[in-house]
Order: sequence, then C-alpha cells, then structure tokens
Amino acid sequence: MSTYTPQVQGSGFRAGVQRIGGHLAGMVMPNIGAFIAWGLITALFIPTGWIPNEGLAQLVDPMIKYLLPILIGYTGGRIVHGQRGAVVGAVATMGVIVGAEMPMFIGAMIMGPLAAFVLKMFDKLIEGRVRPGFEMLVDNFSAGIIGGAFALLAKWIIGPVTQNIMTLLGNGVDWLVDLGVLPAVSILVEPAKVLFLNNAINHGVFTPLGVQQVAENGKSIMFMIESNPGPGLGLLLAYFFFGPKLLRPSTPAAMIIHFFGGIHEIYFPYVLMKPRLILATMAGGAAGVTTFMITGAGLVASPSPGSIFAYAAVTPKGAGNWIGMIAGILIAAAVSFVVAAALLGFGRLKEDQEVDDSSAEALGAEPADGATKHDSPAVARNSSPEPGTA
Amino acid sequence: MATINGSDVKKLVVACDAGMGSSVMLASTLRKQLVKNNVTVEHTPVNSIPADADVVVCHSGLAARARAGAPDKIIVPFQVFLGDPAVTKVVKAIQTGADING
Repeated sequence: MSTYTPQVQGSGFRAGVQRIGGHLAGMVMPNIGAFIAWGLITALFIPTGWIPNEGLAQLVDPMIKYLLPILIGYTGGRIVHGQRGAVVGAVATMGVIVGAEMPMFIGAMIMGPLAAFVLKMFDKLIEGRVRPGFEMLVDNFSAGIIGGAFALLAKWIIGPVTQNIMTLLGNGVDWLVDLGVLPAVSILVEPAKVLFLNNAINHGVFTPLGVQQVAENGKSIMFMIESNPGPGLGLLLAYFFFGPKLLRPSTPAAMIIHFFGGIHEIYFPYVLMKPRLILATMAGGAAGVTTFMITGAGLVASPSPGSIFAYAAVTPKGAGNWIGMIAGILIAAAVSFVVAAALLGFGRLKEDQEVDDSSAEALGAEPADGATKHDSPAVARNSSPEPGTA
Repeated sequence: MATINGSDVKKLVVACDAGMGSSVMLASTLRKQLVKNNVTVEHTPVNSIPADADVVVCHSGLAARARAGAPDKIIVPFQVFLGDPAVTKVVKAIQTGADING
C-alpha cells in the first residue's frame, strides 16, 4: 500500500498544497466557459483572426479587463461566504481592475476571497445582536461599506502591487522562453499533475499567465504545458501493449476518456501504481513543449478539459498553429510511449507482470479468480492506512 | 470507525478536486447502477462535501482533504476510475443492504 502513492514530504503538506491550489482553481474553473467565449471571440474577430470585424472585436478588451476578473473575484467571494461574499468580492475586484493597467486575475484571486472573509468575520461578530427589523438594513450596508472600502484599498495598494508581481512573473516566463528552458517546466509539472495538482497548476498559474499573453500576442503556449493530452496517451498505450496483463483490458476505455473526453485524472492511477513511469510523462511533456516552442504554436484560451477536441476548438488561424499543435501532441505521445515501454521492459520483465504492490492486485477490475477473497485494501483502511491520512 | 448499512444510504457523493471532471464521470456511472435503489448520487469538489451526504467516494490521493473537510462522513477512497473494487463494493452494499465501513 505504501508504495502505491509516492510519498512527498509528508502527506499533510501535500493535502495542504492541494487545498490551496484547489481554491485557486476553484475560482477559475467554474468560469472556464466565459474564458472560452472570450477566446473564441478573440480568435474570430481580431484583425489577424478568421473573420476580422472591427465592431465585434470591441468585445475583446472589456471582456478580458472587466468580465473575467470580476467573475473570478465573484466566485472567490462565493467560495468563502456565499452570495454575500460573492457580491463584496466582485466589488473589491473592481478596485484592482481600475488600479492596474493589465488584466487582473491574480488581484481578483486575492481581493475576492479577502473581502468576503472580512465580511464573514463581521457577520459572525454581529450575529444575534441586530434588533428585529433591522437585519436588512445592517446586511445591506455592511456589505456595501466593506465592499466599497476594499475596492478603495485595492485601487490604491493591491492593484499596483499585483501589477508589479504580474509583470515580474510575465518577465520570468519570457526569460524561461528566451533561455529555451521552458520544456524543463514539465519536470515539475508532470509529477505535480498526478498528485492531483493538475487543476491548481493549470488554472491557478498557467491560465492567468496565458490569458495575458493572448491579450498581447493573440495566442499563448502557457495553455499547452499542463493540458497536453499526449504524454498521458503515450503512457496508456504503453500499458496497453506492455503493462501488467491484468491491467491491459482497462486501458482502451481510459484512452478514450483521456484523449477525447479530456479527463486526465483517468491516467494518474497508472502512473501512481508504478511511480518510475513518471519519467515517461516528464519526457513526453518536455518533448511536447519543445515542439510547441519550435513551431511557435499557441492557443487562444485554456483547452479545458484537455481533450483533443478542446485543443482544436481553441487553436487560432494559421497552418503553423495547427501543425505545431498536432505535432506537439503526437510527439509527446510518441516519446512518452517509448520511454514508458522501455521502463516496462517491453512486457518482458517478469516482475512487471505483477503490479508493484499488493493493493494493486485489485486493480485488474476483474474479480474473476480469487481476487474477491482479498479484502479490498481501499475499503478496509483500518488494516492498511491510506497514504494521505498520516 | 463509522459504519452505515447500504439500505440507509440516501445520498452518495463522488468528490474530486474541482467537482467538474472525473467526479462527474464516475457519478453518472454510479447513478445508472443505482437507478433502482432510490439513492441520490451527486458530484462535488472535495472541499465542499455537502452536510447531508451519507457516503463519500473519492480518489485516495484526495482522501486526506475529504477527511479534513468532512471528518464525520464515511469516506471510501478508491484508486482507479474505471471498475475499482472499492467502488463496486459500495454499489453492491447499497443494492443488497450490506454494511459500508468508512
């Protein structure tokens, strides 16, 4: 059991990082539809788009500057303190938007929850102390005053500060790109991904950076680093041909869900049960990013979920963009497949026909012969503590 | 360690990181399997498991967060998204009225 999930510096830390990242992603993910709408409108109507149209292109700027950050701030507030939190979160976000000159996603991620948190404290403080009949008056004006105060604070301080942070981050990314070491980012991203930090990384970090690049250049490679379905596809293919016999039958369905449905979580367990295979997705991811970089590929919005269909939908006009996108995914899949196949000994390693640890005997999904007599370790966690509870 | 009888389960929650991807997939599978058992199957983010959930299933990589957010719930971790025996066992327990340990 203990080898099932790689141990990372104590699981309390891991759960903590997951939780923080989950909050960041939780502010962005419910709003992905709006990001895609903005990306599509941008791809269609800007001067270099599919059907340039000056009138309709007027939608582009207000949407990225106001709509998207306000949605993030609103959602962030809602996570902390329901509808009232959402309202003050949106108001406070307006402060960062006006206080900075660039699209303010990070600012919205800070101000939305912060303002909502303060309102929540206030509501707790006065709970039960308001005279009957005055609740609505107190509720409305507390939200109005706190929201307004945070909008001012954000305009004066948070906006300019986050603008500097964003500029630094943006410069850092440009620097990585110029240096040509962007593919090395995969070495961090791929392991983090299978530890269920995928959404946190993609939507907490890459989506805000990417949207900013789209606003400047019309496309961004940032969307393609975490979401490339190639590495996972290669890994699943390697399992299909060379994996433990028990696991092979389950891989075709997993491939369809992963590659066409875009639910990458489906392949994480296949890495977690043989942690050395992380090298395969790292190599595949780095090869994919390298290809995207060389071909100058980029997307106009986050392909979420990371399905080949989502990729096609947010690829901008231009043969180079399409070739780069498809090549990057295929090359990533091929590299990941070859490395994973080699790590699986091309199916010839005897010990590899078993899964690394006892827990995985259950993973074959066919309780045909004798597998049922084992207590499923996942359920009977009294006898075998889960990683992550310590 | 909490235990619930399968026939007492009214609401089964499938939790994942965002509550939008893998949990939706698994929840729709389980909903089909449990259509005759009068059980509500919901999908939620692991950080906001609803208070009226009777049993929560989530990937073992997220189980620590599920327990932190909903310490009094019966949480059944699983490992693969397709045909995990832990999940199959929960479904069987609900269908036959056996006990579920969390």
